[in-house]
Amino acid sequence: MMKHITSFFIALAILTLTACGGSGGPSTTATPPANAQGSDVTAYTGPAPNTADVQRFKINLWDSLSAKNRCGNCHTTGGQTPQFVRTDDINAAYAAATTIVDLNNPGMSRMVAKVAGGHNCWLTSAAACGDVLTRLITNWANDAQGAVKSIALVAPTLKTPGDAKSFPTDAAGFQSNIYPLLTLYCSRCHREDAAVPQAPFFASVNVAAAYQAARSKIDLDSPANSRLVLRLRNEFHNCWSSCAANATTMENAIQAFSNSVPVTHLDPQLVVSKALSIKDGIVASSGGRYDSAAVALWEFKTGSGTTAFDTSGVSPAMDLTFTGDVSWVGGYGIRVQNKGRAQASTTSSSKLQRLITSTGEYSIEAWVAPGNVTQEGPARIVSYSAGTQARNFTLGQTLYNYDFLARTSATNADGMPGLSTKDADRALQATLQHVVVTFDPTHGRRIYVNAKQVAADASGGASVKDWDNTFAFVLGNEVSGDRPWSGVLRLVAVHNRALTIEQIKRNFDAGVGEKFFLLFSVEHLIDTPASYLLFEVEQYDSYAYLFSSPRIVVLGTNARIVSDIPIKGLRIGVNGKEPTVGQSYATLDTTLLAADYMPAGLPLASIGAVIATDKGAQDDEFFLTFERIGSHTNVRTDNSSPTPKPVADLTPQADVGVRNFAEINASMAAATTVPANTTAVKATYDKILQQLPAVERIDGFLASNQTAVTQLAISYCNSLVETPARASAFFPGLDLNSPPSTAFAQANRHLTIDPLLDRLIGSNLTSQPDVPAVTTELNALMDRLTTCGGTCPSDRTRTVVKASCAAVLGSAALLVQ
Amino acid sequence: MTLRLLATMMLVLVCAGTLAGPREQAKRMHDRLAGVPPSSATLDQMAAMIGAGDTRGAALTAMDNDAFYDVTLKNMAMPWTNRDFSVFRPLNDYVATVIGVVRDGRDFRDVLSGDVLYIGNTGLGLPSYSSSSNAHYDAIETQGLHLKTALIATTQSGVTGVPAAATAGVLTTRAGAKAFFIDGTNRAMLRFTLVNHLCTDLEQLKDTSRPPDRIRQDVTRSPGGDSRIFLNNCIGCHSGMDPLAQAFAYYDFAHDVDADPEGDNGAISYNDAGATDPATGNRVKKKYRINSDNFKFGYITQDDHWNNYWRSGQNSAIGWDVASPGSGSGAKSLGQELANSHAFAQCHSVHVFKTVCLRDPQDAADRARVDTITNTFTASGYKLKEAFANAAAYCMGQ
Repeated sequence: MMKHITSFFIALAILTLTACGGSGGPSTTATPPANAQGSDVTAYTGPAPNTADVQRFKINLWDSLSAKNRCGNCHTTGGQTPQFVRTDDINAAYAAATTIVDLNNPGMSRMVAKVAGGHNCWLTSAAACGDVLTRLITNWANDAQGAVKSIALVAPTLKTPGDAKSFPTDAAGFQSNIYPLLTLYCSRCHREDAAVPQAPFFASVNVAAAYQAARSKIDLDSPANSRLVLRLRNEFHNCWSSCAANATTMENAIQAFSNSVPVTHLDPQLVVSKALSIKDGIVASSGGRYDSAAVALWEFKTGSGTTAFDTSGVSPAMDLTFTGDVSWVGGYGIRVQNKGRAQASTTSSSKLQRLITSTGEYSIEAWVAPGNVTQEGPARIVSYSAGTQARNFTLGQTLYNYDFLARTSATNADGMPGLSTKDADRALQATLQHVVVTFDPTHGRRIYVNAKQVAADASGGASVKDWDNTFAFVLGNEVSGDRPWSGVLRLVAVHNRALTIEQIKRNFDAGVGEKFFLLFSVEHLIDTPASYLLFEVEQYDSYAYLFSSPRIVVLGTNARIVSDIPIKGLRIGVNGKEPTVGQSYATLDTTLLAADYMPAGLPLASIGAVIATDKGAQDDEFFLTFERIGSHTNVRTDNSSPTPKPVADLTPQADVGVRNFAEINASMAAATTVPANTTAVKATYDKILQQLPAVERIDGFLASNQTAVTQLAISYCNSLVETPARASAFFPGLDLNSPPSTAFAQANRHLTIDPLLDRLIGSNLTSQPDVPAVTTELNALMDRLTTCGGTCPSDRTRTVVKASCAAVLGSAALLVQ
Repeated sequence: MTLRLLATMMLVLVCAGTLAGPREQAKRMHDRLAGVPPSSATLDQMAAMIGAGDTRGAALTAMDNDAFYDVTLKNMAMPWTNRDFSVFRPLNDYVATVIGVVRDGRDFRDVLSGDVLYIGNTGLGLPSYSSSSNAHYDAIETQGLHLKTALIATTQSGVTGVPAAATAGVLTTRAGAKAFFIDGTNRAMLRFTLVNHLCTDLEQLKDTSRPPDRIRQDVTRSPGGDSRIFLNNCIGCHSGMDPLAQAFAYYDFAHDVDADPEGDNGAISYNDAGATDPATGNRVKKKYRINSDNFKFGYITQDDHWNNYWRSGQNSAIGWDVASPGSGSGAKSLGQELANSHAFAQCHSVHVFKTVCLRDPQDAADRARVDTITNTFTASGYKLKEAFANAAAYCMGQ
C-alpha cells in the first residue's frame, strides 16, 4: 500500500515545542545542574564550541554523558566510535553525536534505541536509560528549534474493524477459571492484606477487584501472550513448581476463560472507518517541557516493578522504591494509597541538599490527582524530610488546600510556619492538576496551580538554611509513614531554580503522559484518497482513553478535500462495538466545507471524549462510526421506551395525623379567639416553635412535642382568661373574680366546661373524644384544684379556668386530625 | 401540679375510632385543608354539602379559611425555597407567589415560567418590595396579616429589574435566586426545581447513555485519577443536567461574599442583551467557566441555549410534552418544558395528596387516586385548588 507522508505544523499548545525565545521559553540560558559527582566528573578543557548548537549539545548532552559511569568510559577520546563524548574537542564530539541522534524525533534516535535495547545502561532499567537519553536529546532539540514543531504524519496500515472479544462485565468466567490459580499461588503477595502487599492485587479476596486488576494481564485473543503467562514462562517469576508447566497451566486457564467469552460481531449496518490501535498511532508529544534546572525527575513510565526511576540524568539517580500500596497507572504514573509510599535512599536524596543549597532556590513540580478532598495532616504528597518534626521541604494537602513547608532562615526545622492556598479558593481539586511550589530568597515561597499563582509569601528575605543531607525524599507519605496521602502522581520534578511563571506555564502546556495521533482512514467514505479523521488519543488513566481534537486531514502534498463533507453522529468504537457511555461526538451534526480546508486539517469539535478501556492499551482496537458521513448514512432512531418500574406498596400508614407546629398555633388561636400575634403568645410560640411537631405523621410524635403543646396551650388560655372582654365572651356568665367555691359550685361548673367542650371539641362528632368522659375529667380536675386546705388564693378561680382550658386545648381533641 | 393533671387529661382524651358521617367527614376535611378546626357554622355548612354529595363545594368552603393560605399552602411550599427543605423559614416572595397563584386560580404552571410576583397590598404599612431584602415579607408575618387578603399580584419585571422575557416564575424570585443561584454553578437551580416540582432527584434520573458533550469543563473526568467514577456515576447526571442548566447561564445572585455570605442583602443578577461579563466576554456568567482546568476538553458555555437530552432514553418516562421542541433559550422556556411535563402535574398532585391525606400514596388505590387528582388538576387548567378538593374528598374518611 502506498504510504503518504506529509508534515503538519500543528499549532496546538500541547504539541508546541516552545524552547527558544517567546514567552514560553526560559528567560535565561540555564546551566544544567552538575550531572556528575566525585570521581565521575569530566572536566572539559578543549577548544570552545564553534557554534551555538555545539554549545547546546555540550550543555544538554555531553555534560551528562561524558562521565565515566555513563558513556565516558568507552566513547571518549581514542575509544570506541562514535566518540560523542570525547574530551579533547567538543566540536568533534558534536559531529559524532549528530550521527546517532534525531533532533526531530528524539525518541527515535539511534542512541536511544541502542541503550534502551540494553546496551550498557547505567540504571537497572534499560527503558529508564532510554528515557533519560530521550529527555537529554529533547532538551537539546528544544533549545535548538523554534516554537513550532513539525510532526510527520504517516499513513497507517489499513485495517478493517473486525469481530473481537471483550471482557465481560460479570466476573464469573474469571472467577471459575483463573481466579483459583491466582488465589492459590499469588495471594502471598498480590493481595491487599498480604504481609508485603504487591500491586496489582489480582488475588484480592474481592473477586470483582481481582478481576479488574487482572484484566490488563490477560490477552483474550492470544492467551499465550498474557502477562500472567509470560511472567511465568519467560521471566520465571515466582513459579510454584516448573515454570514451563506453570505457564501452561495459566495459559490453559486463560484459554478456558477466553472460550467462555462470546465474540462481538460488528453490526453490518454501521458506517465505519478503518480501525487502529494505540500502537498504530504517531507519538504526538515530543517534549516541550522546561527541564534545564531539573535535578530530579520521575516520569513513572516503567509500568511494572517496584522502582520509579529518576530520569533527570543528574547523578546520583534518586530512584524511588515502593513500599506498601503503590501501583502503576495507565498513561504513566503511580497511585499511592493506604499508607503506601515511594522513597529514595538518604544517600541519593542528598543530591537535593547539595544542589539546592548551591543555588539557594528551588521548585517542586508535580502532576497530581488527589484521591479526595478530605485528607489532611498535611498529607504528604512530596517530602524531603526526617519525620513529622523535621524537613527540608514538603508539598502537602489539607482538604482543598496545598501546603508548602520549607526550611528557611524564616521558618523552623519543621518548615513552619507553612504557606497554604486560601480555603475559599479551593485550589486543590480531586482531579489531575499541575502544582508547582517555588522558593527563592527574593520572593520567598510561591504556590502555582495549573500555571496560576495561588499563594505567595508577603515578602522575600529568607534563605535556604541549615538543610540536612541525612533526610530522605519520599512521595505519598512521611518517611515515618504516619502522614499518608492518597492519589495519583503522574510526574514529579525537583528543580534547583525557582521556575518563572513562563517556565511553569510551558510545563503546564506540555501536559503529562503520552499522546498519539490516530489516523482513522475514511477515504472509502468520502471518496478522497488518503483522507483520514485524525484524533489525538491518550491513556487518560488506567481506565479510560481521552479522544480529542478531531479533524479531517488529507495526506499528500497539496492534498485537500474536494467537496463539502456532512458529518453527523460520530461515535468511537472499541473492539467491534460502540461503547454506550462517553460518546461526546454522538450529537455532532456539521458540514465541513472544502473551501475551509487548511494544511492542518478541518477541525470537527473542540470537546473531548473519555472512553473506557476494554482489554487494555496494547490490545484495544478503535474505529469510528457515523450516522452520516458524505453520502453514507446509517439512520438511527432511539426507540428505547422505558419499562415502567414496578411500584411496591408501602407499609400501611396511619389514617390520622397530628397537627404540625403552625397548625397547632393557628388552631389554638382560632379556638380561643386569641390572636396568634398577641405578644405573650407569640413569644411563647417563637420560643418553643421547633419543639412542636414539624411533621404530621402521628408515629413521629414525641413526649417533648407534648410538652411544647402544653406550654403553648397554657399561654393561649392565660391570655384568654386575663383579657376580660375576650374571657367574658368565651365564658358567658362566669365571674372570674368570684371565689372558687362559687365559680365551681356544681351548679356553676357548666359555665366553664360547656364553652370549652363546645369550642374546643365540638358537638355531635363521633370522631372527637367522648363528652361525658371529658366532663368527668374536668370535674375531677376542678375538685382537686379547689381543695385548698383552707381559704383559696384570690386568683384561684382564674387559675382553675386556665388549667381546665389548657387541659382541653392541649389535648388530643385539638392535636389529632 | 397542674402539668401533672394536664398530662393525665392528655392520656384520657383520645379519639374514638368510629365510622364517619358527613359531620365527621366535614371536620376532617376542614382540618386537613385549613389546618384548623372549623367553626360550628362552617362545620354545619360543609356537612350539609357533603351530605348532598357536593364534596368539592365543601372543600372549597374549607379553602376559604385564612389558614388554608397562612398555614397549609405556606407550609407546603416553604421547603421548596431552601436547600435544607426546611419549613422553618420566613415568608418570602417564592412562597407568596405560589400562594397567590393558587388563591387566584391561575395556571399553576406559571410558577415555573410566568412573569408573576405576589406582594403585600399597599396601605398595609409594609416596607416596599425590595430586590435586595426580605423585609417586605418579614413585615407581613410580623403583623400577622392574612395572606388570603394581603397579597396582590404584580410582575417581577416591574419590580426586580429582570426583563419580562427572563422571568421564570418562582425560579427568578429573590428567594429562589438566593437559595439556588447563590455561588456555585447554577446546577442547584435545576436540581432543586426537579426535586420540588417534578418530585425526582438526579439519582433517579441517572442515565449514563446520554451523550456527555455538554458537560462543562469544571467536571473532572477522572476524579482522584479514576475515570470509572466519571463514566459510571458523574456522567449519568451531568450529561442531562448540564445542557438543561445552561438555561441559567445569564443568572447569578449578587452578594458580598465576605460581608454577607448568606446573601441577606443580595439580589438576583441577570446579564441582559448587550451586557458583557468581563470573565467570559459575553453574557454568560463567570460561574459557568470556573475550574476550567479540570477538563479543558469539556464544554465551554457560550449562551443560554438549553437542550433536553432526557427526552429520549429512560427519562422519557417523565412524560415530556410532545408539542414542545425540547430545546430553547433561557429560564422561561426551560420552566415551560418542565411544567408541561406529566411529572410536574403528578408531582404537585402528590404534594397535595400528602398534605391532605397526611401520608404518602401507599397502595394501588392511593396511586390510582393520585392519577385521578392529576387528571383533574390538568383538566382544570392547572388550578391547584381542584387538586386539593379532589384529594380532600378521597381522604375525608368513611
